[in-house]
Amino acid sequence: MEEKEKKKHRAKQSGPKAEKKRKRYLNELGIGDEENARKRNPKAFTVQSAVRMARTFHRTQDLKTKKHHIPVVDRTPLEPPPVVVVVVGPPKVGKSTVIKCLIKNFTRQKLVEIRGPVTIVSGKKRRLTIIECGCDINTMIDLAKVADLVLMLIDASFGFEMETFEFLNICQVHGFPKIMGVLTHLDTFKNNKQLKKTKKKLKHRFWTEVYPGAKLFYLSGMVHGEYQKQEIHNLGRFISVMKFRPLTWQTSHPYVLADRMEELTNPEDVRINPKCDRKISLYGYLRGAHLKNKSQIHMPGVGDFTVSDVSFLPDPCALPEQQKKRSLNEKEKLVYAPLSGVGGIVYDKDAVYIDLGGSHAHEKEEEEVRPNQELVQSLISTHSAIDVKMASSKVSLFLDSAPLGSEDVGQEFVMPKEERQVDLKTGRVRRKAVFEDDEKENDDVASDEEDDQEEEEEEEEAVSEDGSDGDDENDAEEESERVLLREGMAVRRAKRLKTEVPQEEAVNELPAFADSDDDLELSSEEEGETAPEDSEVEEDEEEEEEEGDVQRTCEDESSGSEFEAANKRAESKQCDMDSEHTETKPQISEHSPKRKAVLTTDSGNCTAEEASESEDENSSLEEGDDEGESHEELEAKESNRNGFQDSKAKKADSVKHTKVKTVDTEDDDDVENLLREEEEYEEKIDLSGDTTGALKWKEDLTQKAAEAFLRQQRSTPNLRKLVYGTAVEDEDQESEDADDELGGLFRVSRPDKASKQKANALDCSKFLVEKPQDWDLEEVMSSIRDCFVTGKWEDDKDAAKLLEEDEELYGDFEDLETGVVHKGKAAAGGEQSGSEEEEEEDEKMSKPEPEEEEKKKERMDKKRKLKEMFDAEYDEGDATYFDDLKEEMHKQAQLNRAEFEDQDDETRVQYEGFRPGMYVRIEIENVPCEFVLNFDPHYPIILGGLGNSEGNVGYVQLRLKKHRWYKKILKTRDPLILSLGWRRFQTIPMFYIEDHNGRHRLLKYTPQHMHCGAAFWGPITPQGTGFLAVQSVSGTTPDFRIAATGVVLDLDKSITIVKKLKLTGFPFKIFKNTCFIKGMFNSQLEVAKFEGAAIRSVSGIRGQIKKALRAPVGAFRATFEDKLLMSDIVFVRTWYPVSIPMFYNPVTSLLKPAGEKDSWSGMKTTGQLRYERGIKLKQNKDSLYKPIVREKRHFNKLHIPKALQKALPFKNKPKNLEKKGKTPKDQWRPAVIREPHEKKISALLSALSTVNNYKIKKAKVKHREQLKEYLKVKQKEDEQKFKRQKEAKKKVYRILGQREKKRQKSSLKGSSKGEKSM
Amino acid sequence: MAGSAAGEAQCLSYTGCNFLRQRLVLATLSGRPLKIRKIRAKEEDPGLRDFEASFIRLIDKVTNGSRIEINQTGTTLYYQPGLLYGGSLEHDCSPSRGIGYYLESLLCLAPFMKHPLKIVLRGVTNDQVDPSVDVLKATALPLLKKFGIDGESLEIKINRRGMPPKGGGEILFSCPVRKVLQPVQFTDPGKIKRIRGTAYSVRVSPQMANRMVESARGILNKFLPDIYIYTDHMKGVNSGKSPGFGICLTAETINGTILSAELASNPQGQGTAVLPEELGQNCAKLLLEEVYRGGCVDSTNQSLALLLMTLGQRDVSKVLLGPLSPYTIEFLRHLRSFFQIMFKMETKTPEEEHMGGEKVLMTCVGIGFCNLSKTIR
Repeated sequence: MEEKEKKKHRAKQSGPKAEKKRKRYLNELGIGDEENARKRNPKAFTVQSAVRMARTFHRTQDLKTKKHHIPVVDRTPLEPPPVVVVVVGPPKVGKSTVIKCLIKNFTRQKLVEIRGPVTIVSGKKRRLTIIECGCDINTMIDLAKVADLVLMLIDASFGFEMETFEFLNICQVHGFPKIMGVLTHLDTFKNNKQLKKTKKKLKHRFWTEVYPGAKLFYLSGMVHGEYQKQEIHNLGRFISVMKFRPLTWQTSHPYVLADRMEELTNPEDVRINPKCDRKISLYGYLRGAHLKNKSQIHMPGVGDFTVSDVSFLPDPCALPEQQKKRSLNEKEKLVYAPLSGVGGIVYDKDAVYIDLGGSHAHEKEEEEVRPNQELVQSLISTHSAIDVKMASSKVSLFLDSAPLGSEDVGQEFVMPKEERQVDLKTGRVRRKAVFEDDEKENDDVASDEEDDQEEEEEEEEAVSEDGSDGDDENDAEEESERVLLREGMAVRRAKRLKTEVPQEEAVNELPAFADSDDDLELSSEEEGETAPEDSEVEEDEEEEEEEGDVQRTCEDESSGSEFEAANKRAESKQCDMDSEHTETKPQISEHSPKRKAVLTTDSGNCTAEEASESEDENSSLEEGDDEGESHEELEAKESNRNGFQDSKAKKADSVKHTKVKTVDTEDDDDVENLLREEEEYEEKIDLSGDTTGALKWKEDLTQKAAEAFLRQQRSTPNLRKLVYGTAVEDEDQESEDADDELGGLFRVSRPDKASKQKANALDCSKFLVEKPQDWDLEEVMSSIRDCFVTGKWEDDKDAAKLLEEDEELYGDFEDLETGVVHKGKAAAGGEQSGSEEEEEEDEKMSKPEPEEEEKKKERMDKKRKLKEMFDAEYDEGDATYFDDLKEEMHKQAQLNRAEFEDQDDETRVQYEGFRPGMYVRIEIENVPCEFVLNFDPHYPIILGGLGNSEGNVGYVQLRLKKHRWYKKILKTRDPLILSLGWRRFQTIPMFYIEDHNGRHRLLKYTPQHMHCGAAFWGPITPQGTGFLAVQSVSGTTPDFRIAATGVVLDLDKSITIVKKLKLTGFPFKIFKNTCFIKGMFNSQLEVAKFEGAAIRSVSGIRGQIKKALRAPVGAFRATFEDKLLMSDIVFVRTWYPVSIPMFYNPVTSLLKPAGEKDSWSGMKTTGQLRYERGIKLKQNKDSLYKPIVREKRHFNKLHIPKALQKALPFKNKPKNLEKKGKTPKDQWRPAVIREPHEKKISALLSALSTVNNYKIKKAKVKHREQLKEYLKVKQKEDEQKFKRQKEAKKKVYRILGQREKKRQKSSLKGSSKGEKSM
Repeated sequence: MAGSAAGEAQCLSYTGCNFLRQRLVLATLSGRPLKIRKIRAKEEDPGLRDFEASFIRLIDKVTNGSRIEINQTGTTLYYQPGLLYGGSLEHDCSPSRGIGYYLESLLCLAPFMKHPLKIVLRGVTNDQVDPSVDVLKATALPLLKKFGIDGESLEIKINRRGMPPKGGGEILFSCPVRKVLQPVQFTDPGKIKRIRGTAYSVRVSPQMANRMVESARGILNKFLPDIYIYTDHMKGVNSGKSPGFGICLTAETINGTILSAELASNPQGQGTAVLPEELGQNCAKLLLEEVYRGGCVDSTNQSLALLLMTLGQRDVSKVLLGPLSPYTIEFLRHLRSFFQIMFKMETKTPEEEHMGGEKVLMTCVGIGFCNLSKTIR
């Protein structure tokens, strides 16, 4: 019973299982396999229509080729620079939160405040540079140009905002980077359905803007002020696996998104003139293309500069070394953001700084580590909150480096003492920023210095207290404040410190003192709890030390060790050290509040080199042999020790010259000349330096160098020296040798006896043979014997050899039918031609077998070769043009990578330039002081490299279209701000349209929905570059700000745009078709210029200018196709060239003071000015519209002359159809009225006649039919009759014919008969 | 306000008139202003010569918006380049230098014009100083083709031959326009498969040419059987204003490398008369000398090849050259100062003995030059 109750098994009808079963079942039947439908039912797949088939084929091919991009050479370096991730969105959407979360996700570190770009290691092969983009349109434009990936944050609770669309449009113009949307504020939706709906709506809108299927992320809610961990993790995953397409502009220009800025100006200059142009160095990863030294760059928002020096530094945020691990370990999760005060170690050209984060930062990290202490921490922090807040408010102002309004700055610099009196604390801080260097150099400002020293001492005392107390929080707070205060300055100062330290010759310039307070704090904290960051920092220090060692070739070991020792000491007991140092060198401690400078003894050397000219640098870099290098260094050191520090550059030059002189004394005249020549090219006229002391040892040096050179073979660097001219003495000797030995390669043309003559020698490209060889001699001839096809060939190209190999390959085969094995010749066989050999082979029988192994080897070889050939044939055969092109590009890319791979970076940089991915330091001179004074790390600093002649200005022609969302149309001659290339600038465009005959006609306004041309005076930018235009970059408007977009078409130094000009005149005498016209021109000459021009009257009568009249002046004779009226106005249409205003004004938004950077305003439009000043436009009365009153037109009667009338035919003669007058009443005829009887009669008559008519009609019809019938019959009869007659005729004719025949016969007979008878 | 706001590239400054052409050409291509001082300042006859003035005028003709300032004595020249314009032009070259002097520079500039260049040059077609038009036609045009500058319109046509001192020759040079150049890998010159040449004579006996051919063949036949030397005797108005004769020889390899040598007779009234046999023999020997030097580009066109490599895309280009001529060495220096480009130079000794002298492998990464003059539609 129970069994029955059990539920019966029901086979699955759907789902994967059922599917599987069905398939199996069908398979068993033999009709399964849906893919095999083609086999099962071939008829269904036959060609139904060839045409349609062709069409579908075409379509698929079209779709296929549409997917192709033009292949480009992949020029990405092996170690690419960090990916630039720009986080963009309207205010309060959560940009910084996303960045913080992302950084935390990747590095497990929490950044408090984000300023400028943050570089992090996100994976084994990828680094990210994350930067926030504000809503300032300047920032948006700049960042869109450097972005690889854009995270577009959208407030879902609000929807899209204008900023988002503006940024998208900017991106579209400047090359479209990858864009990912991120929806935030999704937690504000309470209703789930509403949420879903919004998501969908926003997604689809986003898709229409970017591309269908673009990735959109949802960040649903906040947990403790952060986004959910998993969501951020996912976002991070997506970012770190994303692939990027190369953008044209970015790949063709080098650029740097600077993440650090130092000022290098000579402090003395600043003291003398606080507004003097500054020298700065900027740091960052090089991206895009190779950057060459001394090339031109543009800094958007600042201006154009020439790079005065570039050097590459060790990567501060390096990718991990190659490991087999899957994930990064904690040590490798680096983060680098010097502008935000996070960076770990900072390398400079000749110094290394260790960033200890500042005490505040550590506090935060502490918090993070120990969340359970949060309460206590917060309590403590609140305890000292008032002071801190007071101070930090000022401080933060300073950190933004805009505490000084422009007026403040001026005051400060002019009257520093007064400034100091105002506020002790701020005064101190400020003064430090400004006058630190002055103090060192100018002893006369002693009072200031003393004060400073006192303060410093106070500080140090506080520090020592800290050290001793260990956990005095209040003091620590204060100290940290100070540190923070100085952070901002440190940025500027670091470089100065570097330049000055070398001047102190003392050995005890230990680097650890400056930052001692921080260290102290660290140690104190470490006592209490384990702070991982601190330990990391320490490690970093050590690492950094090591690297520093590596970096310097001749690092002093002792100093290194000393440094280490010092470090240890600093950690253990620093109070003493610090006090010492403050006493001995207060200024140094003052300079490096935050960073330690690792300085070695040879840093002096470095600076000397730096100061010397670039050639010298090159020489030191290129010096292959160590000796040479050491000489250089020695020189530098020597000079340093001698104490000629004021003119290092001169010295370096003079050193060189003395070298030169020594060589002169030794070597022959030729050498001398060569040297002079070299001098000429290097253009070192500066011989002022005095180096008599250095002469003696240098003599030896040159000799030594020469010897060393002789030992070396002629090698590449020497040829390079010969060409690029650095090692002079090497080169000439070398050339001599070459002359003697080879007479070929290095035969330098001897310059004339004097270098001056050489400079003015004959300019000829021919390479004359100086020592012609005797080509009649056999050995000379044999030296080039193999250059000809008749000579010996290389093995791989020799036809005979190749044939032989082929023979080996194809020579032996086995005849399967007969079983005979044909063998090819052995490799050593003779040199007969192929065909002969084959024949021979056929005859030959199999030889006795050689050794087994050899045979095997041969077989393998053959197989391989055959396979290669097969591959070659079949792979090639299938390849399309596209594939070939791709292959070519691939090959080129490989060559590009491989060519310089084996060289060290120093040399490589000279050949290629600095390659993308390097961390570079770029020095720039003559930067406006406002840039430094108003520096704000929140605004991106971009160094965009310029191509050749992209720094020049000229006329640029564009194709422009007003943006469809922009509400106004644009007016010619209104200033407009363009973003083109790297630049943003204001210019005055002129709009034009091209007529069908190629004329560029000026337009007053842009067309509404159409492209038009635009021309302006501005920077030369390659054709095809996109641009966008805005009317103003200041402030915000609710409206869409992008006014127009377009592309550059043409560049030129002259342009012709014309506008229409109508000259009017009036007839003053009219003949038949000729008339005299005045008022159009002012002189006979003008008329002469226009002779033959077409003129027209307003009524449309066309004519031509004939000739000028004597009087009145400017009048002329003209002929028309018809007679003019005196009231007619005559005009001539001419084209007048318009000049384009030469107005080019770069937008210098970064020079504005902090907080006003988005308020740059350039030239105003006339409309704006009128509006501001309340000027009303005076309108031309004639231009006003008035109601149109039209009088009724009255036409005169047509009058035909009598003579003409007579001549006309009657038809066309005007008839005298004058209306007859009304007939008078008496002439009217009376109407007839019938009697009833008469009526009856007439009715009857008409009835009868009707009947009669009908009858007649009927009879007629009948008759006609009868006639037809009759005719038919008759025709038949006729036919028959005709037939009969024909037959009868036939008969008759036949008879007649017979008779004729008979007669003929009979006549023949008859004649004979007749003859007989006769 | 207008022009000064944009950062004009910094001016380069040189002394002396030597290498004037290189400097002007590179300044034009790089867009950097140029100042040359002390042009023959110490000489009896200071300042620019007529042929240099003519060259500057030619540069002015092919560009638009150039600014050229020369001081009173002609010893200082300031040149601010404009954009290369091109188009159909005519130019009367000074007869004190050959047309080759002008043509060499035009070959460097022509591919980067706004409109394809079509220029008629009048003057001395063949002389002893400059590479003759025949040689440039035979060597430079194939070289341009290797860099992707080809097409029907690339040609040099010799309409009239003119010999020094009076000239009277006329050529037509036309060249298409390119936006970018291809990188080249040109490291294997290959073996010489044929020798061609032209022996020309104007206003002298037509037999001169034949005599030159005979003597040249005599020497070259020892190496190669495939020799054909055309004789070109121009008559009437096509023969210029002065008598003279000469020969130029080219050796073509299987890989398309063309090496050349040439000689011309002394101009009328200068030096002693030269025997055509001697001239032919000497020229053949010069060609052998050139073969000995070797390389993928002959010594006259080294600088052109290096320039086109420099102006390529940002890719590695390689070319194997013979020993660098002083002109080329100077050109390399100028390339560095104008374009910040350095070449990697490796000396290569041929593995086998009988392949001539040492060679130099020149490698560089192009600067990514693009033709800023060309209009896009």
